Amino acid sequence: MSSPERAPAVRCDGLTRRYGERVALNAVSLTVAPGERLLLTGGNGAGKTTLLRVLATVLRPHAGEVAIDGHLLPRDARQVRPAIGYVGHEPLVYPVLTARENLELYAALYGVGRERIEQVLDLAGLNGRGADPAGELSRGLRQRLGLARAMLHSPSLLLLDEPTSGLDEDGRERLRGVLDAHHGAAVIATHEPDWFAGLEHGRLRLAGGRAA
Amino acid sequence: MNGSHRARPDRATAAATAAALLMALALAMIFFYVPTDVSEGYSQRIFYFHVPIALTTYFLFTWGALNGARFLLKRDMSLDLKSYVPMHLGVIFGSLTLVTGSIWANIAWGTWWFWGDTQLTTFLIIFLFNCAYFMLRFSVEPGERRATFSAVYAVLGVGLIPLSVIGVHVAQTNDLIHPITFNENGVNMDGSMFLTFLVALAAMITLAVTMYLIELRGKRIDDRLRAIRRLAGGEA
Amino acid sequence: MRAYRALLRKDLLLELRGRELVPAMVVFVVGALVLVRLGLGGERLAGGTRAATGLLWVVVVFTSMLALVRSFAQEREHGIWDGLLSAPADRSAIWAARASATFLFLGVTQAVALPLFWLFFLQDGRSPSLAVLAAALALADLGVAMLGALLAGLVSNVRAREVLLPVLFLPFALPLVSVAVRMTVDSIPPQNGGLGALQGLGFLALYDTIFALLGWALFEYVVED
Repeated sequence: MSSPERAPAVRCDGLTRRYGERVALNAVSLTVAPGERLLLTGGNGAGKTTLLRVLATVLRPHAGEVAIDGHLLPRDARQVRPAIGYVGHEPLVYPVLTARENLELYAALYGVGRERIEQVLDLAGLNGRGADPAGELSRGLRQRLGLARAMLHSPSLLLLDEPTSGLDEDGRERLRGVLDAHHGAAVIATHEPDWFAGLEHGRLRLAGGRAA
Repeated sequence: MNGSHRARPDRATAAATAAALLMALALAMIFFYVPTDVSEGYSQRIFYFHVPIALTTYFLFTWGALNGARFLLKRDMSLDLKSYVPMHLGVIFGSLTLVTGSIWANIAWGTWWFWGDTQLTTFLIIFLFNCAYFMLRFSVEPGERRATFSAVYAVLGVGLIPLSVIGVHVAQTNDLIHPITFNENGVNMDGSMFLTFLVALAAMITLAVTMYLIELRGKRIDDRLRAIRRLAGGEA
Repeated sequence: MRAYRALLRKDLLLELRGRELVPAMVVFVVGALVLVRLGLGGERLAGGTRAATGLLWVVVVFTSMLALVRSFAQEREHGIWDGLLSAPADRSAIWAARASATFLFLGVTQAVALPLFWLFFLQDGRSPSLAVLAAALALADLGVAMLGALLAGLVSNVRAREVLLPVLFLPFALPLVSVAVRMTVDSIPPQNGGLGALQGLGFLALYDTIFALLGWALFEYVVED
């Protein structure tokens, strides 16, 4: 599967990120091999979301090194973005636009064909709801739309922030299906690490911005 | 580290010495050497303060913008300081420009030099820009984000200077083709007047550089103190 | 290019569905013009059509502030910046789309305001040349929209953004308004020299070019964190 020369999917060395005077991530180091799934655990404010946002190239590291597939961030951020699928706390969709219109926007941003939109709607179980404004969907369905959005461009690295929150049983089954079918690496922040049994390859606990 | 510390005081001292010498020379020339202007009388001499101070202000803004652009490219926080300090000095020199300008406007009325309305309006626009720069800096918490926003705004300001000069001139006169200033002054000015002007300009710029070096050093010490206090207090 | 079109479509759809900006701008412009008209009683505006033209431009600038302050409100309130910024599309496309949309909103607003302006303030049967005024408005709107989109992105995450945006924008509005006013006023008959329309438009075009380049180049830095 992974030859010894292949770069790790994710590598952090002493990653530090501040918000003003407060240190959100303090010299965090981790490695995720290709195809592996890492769970991030820890209380609120531990830095899980910040870490995912740095990996999603939304935040720049203030110190230390971050590399995705061997590409250093932030220098090579543009090269890396097509390969990343990020699902944040919020589903990242416009409430007044329909589900389909939201996906059309992201399809254009990722340079993906429109037929893919129907595929991910199907994947997320939103087939009948494509024409509904995203703001009118329930929390769980909006969460599924967020996941669909992240899968549009068939990313190799998945970055998921609390993906199970708000999902009903059907939603959770679909999430499991997506993760099973996904052969790339994943970094998943969660308060329910036990639900990921069988899917996880490793765990990292964060506390106060440090790897515990 | 110690070697570079020894170098910096020397630069500030050298600049201060040069500024003092040039300023003394300029003052001597302004009050004793240059002939009295025929049309405006003795008090026309304020021109030798006003124009060099104004030009120095423009020079400071351009310098601030330049370092701002360098910050955006290199993300080196010391460049943020090196961009902020010239902008800050720009407030000081800018205020002096407006003060000397209005004094002069009171005295002079035959504008042989063409430094009338349009120049003051242009300068006012730039001065407002400078004030807005500081409002921006006060509205954002210190850090890389504030440095980035300040740098972007400083760079925008550099675009504003030519637009302001051209725009106000276009709007207030009918003459688009010949910008007022220096070519004509250089031709019309008597040799000794031009020389005095150049010395005064050199003095003002050197003074600005001296103040820049001193303020830069002071701010660096502030930053280091803050960092030491933070370490001593333990990081959050 | 596909990203730009999709982002522009998104901005226009948001306005169409949300109806937040354009109605507010139109109401503001109408209200301002009515206010001045009423404030004058039955009197003519001192300075006649020339002063009125200046007033129009002042109102235009303040109206554009309304539109710009609310830029990127949706992205901010629903955390959508993360979605846009983690996508591979050029960040400047976001700026270009927002500038284009703002330009269109300003145009729509002015299409409503101009007839009112004519009605309220047209005096002595004289008025600025409609062609000159329309051309000046178009170029000025473009400059305002482009610089405004950049500044709106900058203040998007700053606390005091409603106050800060007009403050940051104002120095840049001054040369624009100076030339635009002079140019439109000089097109009021009888014309005796004064600023030619072409020269004024030339300056506006220069203004637009400079801020097109700066906006396109600097937006990336403004949204990156």
